Amino acid sequence: MHLLEVENLTKRFGGLSAIKDVSLHVDEGEIVGIIGPNGAGKTTLFNLLTGFLKPDSGAIKFKNENITGLEPYKIVNKGMARTFQLVKPFRHLPTIANILVPLASPRGNKKIEWLKTRERKAMEMLEDVGLSEMMLEPAENLSHGDLKRLEIARALATDPDLLLLDEPFGGLSPIETDYLTKSILRMHLDGHTLVIVEHKLHALMKLVKRVIVLHYGEKIAEGEPEEIGKNKRVIEVYLGKAM
Amino acid sequence: MHVLDIPPRLLAFLLLLLFLELPLMGLDIYTLGIFVTANVFAIFAVSWDLLVGRTGLISLGHALFFGVGAYASALLFKYFSLPLWFTIPMALLAGFSVALLVGFPCLKVKGPYLALVTMAFPIILSAVIYYFAPVTGGEQGVINLPTFFPFPNYYLRKLAEYYFTLILLAASSMVVYKIANSKTGIVFVSILDNELASKASGINVTKYKLLAFAISGLFGSLAGAVYAHLLTIANPPTLLLTISFLPVILTILGGLGTIYGPIVGAYIYYILNSYVFKNVIRIPPLWQIHIVTSFLPEINSPIYTDYLMLLVFTAVVVLLAIKWPRGTARLVVDKLKDLEEAREIEKRARKRRLNIRRSVDKLQAVFKGSKKKPEPAPKG
Repeated sequence: MHLLEVENLTKRFGGLSAIKDVSLHVDEGEIVGIIGPNGAGKTTLFNLLTGFLKPDSGAIKFKNENITGLEPYKIVNKGMARTFQLVKPFRHLPTIANILVPLASPRGNKKIEWLKTRERKAMEMLEDVGLSEMMLEPAENLSHGDLKRLEIARALATDPDLLLLDEPFGGLSPIETDYLTKSILRMHLDGHTLVIVEHKLHALMKLVKRVIVLHYGEKIAEGEPEEIGKNKRVIEVYLGKAM
Repeated sequence: MHVLDIPPRLLAFLLLLLFLELPLMGLDIYTLGIFVTANVFAIFAVSWDLLVGRTGLISLGHALFFGVGAYASALLFKYFSLPLWFTIPMALLAGFSVALLVGFPCLKVKGPYLALVTMAFPIILSAVIYYFAPVTGGEQGVINLPTFFPFPNYYLRKLAEYYFTLILLAASSMVVYKIANSKTGIVFVSILDNELASKASGINVTKYKLLAFAISGLFGSLAGAVYAHLLTIANPPTLLLTISFLPVILTILGGLGTIYGPIVGAYIYYILNSYVFKNVIRIPPLWQIHIVTSFLPEINSPIYTDYLMLLVFTAVVVLLAIKWPRGTARLVVDKLKDLEEAREIEKRARKRRLNIRRSVDKLQAVFKGSKKKPEPAPKG
């Protein structure tokens, strides 16, 4: 049984197919990478999986349950959370409130241990991502790197079984990238299954065991990072055809 | 722990004490009457602030809840002659359910479109009231409602009404404030801030928006029902556009999204509107006689003075909105916070100065000491 199973997913925007007949699966405890050039449909795929877009055809199964076309908040409460490529914090609220909100969701609420206040839990979660000093600062005062980490902390606060990270390394400095790599590995050890969309292949390949390559909305390859690196089609897509 | 800005709790308590004391210091009936109205509309504005200031659902039809409260209580009295203490809670229930009902179509639209949709509802209700005139009393409304305190002494009656509305205001604003700063309140603000992010956080946005509507409708109808019983009448003017805009003015005057702001705004509004201007802003008699009356003989009529007052008042409101967009109540709280911060900085600076002086002294001592020492003899 797969944790996430996608069958023949298709999404059209007008005449353009953003996602064309994509099937994939994610097993429990995996880290899966999704790569592809700009416009390959990676973010659209995420939006479809998390309910922010409704697919034209195909089915999405999560924990053997059909979640196709469900509302985003319901999918989150079933245990699939995501981060956004362009961070979407609650800008005018204090940083800690960014964690308090997901902790107020039905699933997040269960994550709070007995006899512990919501605030206490939120503070701990901020400490985990190294943002406890900025706790009362409005989120708009945070740097880009901090916001990226806050975004992940917010998704983690809903206690996801499957976490979808949309370009977590985008715009990060090498030091921040290293730090994030470590925290992603820690998340993995904590039992979260991860799907990562990323442009920075170098950072990604260190993390994942399996890579799926999208190109113009189609899945063109799937396999271990080494295989993918040698795959002719993938090289063509990224670098162009040999003359 | 409160995450959002709070007014000093002590300040609120002292203010409440002050207002409980005020009548003892010899307020006249006129002022008491103004304060009673201010209290009722403060409740109304607080309910509006929870919906608009905290959740971002712009309602320009809040008179609907006011009217529903007034009419629900009045009709229950008219047809079942139920006592006031029963009809008002029923009116709250009516306000709550109407708000839920109205909330559904409102959730389909956003921003200015939502404002327009909400504006339509009081108009619809007043049309219904006119259409079913035999039941609702039509133009005349439902009259001879029971008052809260049927004392023969008019002053005592006003005094009792003042205390009653004051305590009602304190209680309901406290409840709204507690809601606004609870887990639910934080979710409300998060929806205002970034709806998409709220959804991604697993929040049922629709549910929370409806909840905001319902709570707001409940307190709005409380204000409406109480007001109807104070005036002993429920009539179509309770659904007028001016009633819908009143909480907007009061809240923006006091501070949007603060919950306590609308109360300050209501008092400022009613004191300015019916007390200060009535006595202070008068057309100078000289003008009246020589200039204005020569063109417009009717300028001396009370209606014209009212219009002039309104003109000055609106100018004041516009000025306040430009000068302090965060509201007058926030201004005070901000100033207090600034003072505190300034004191903190001053304290730190003093400490630093002291440290510097100490280290300078030390250095000087070392320097002096070294001067006293004889120069080491050159080697060699």
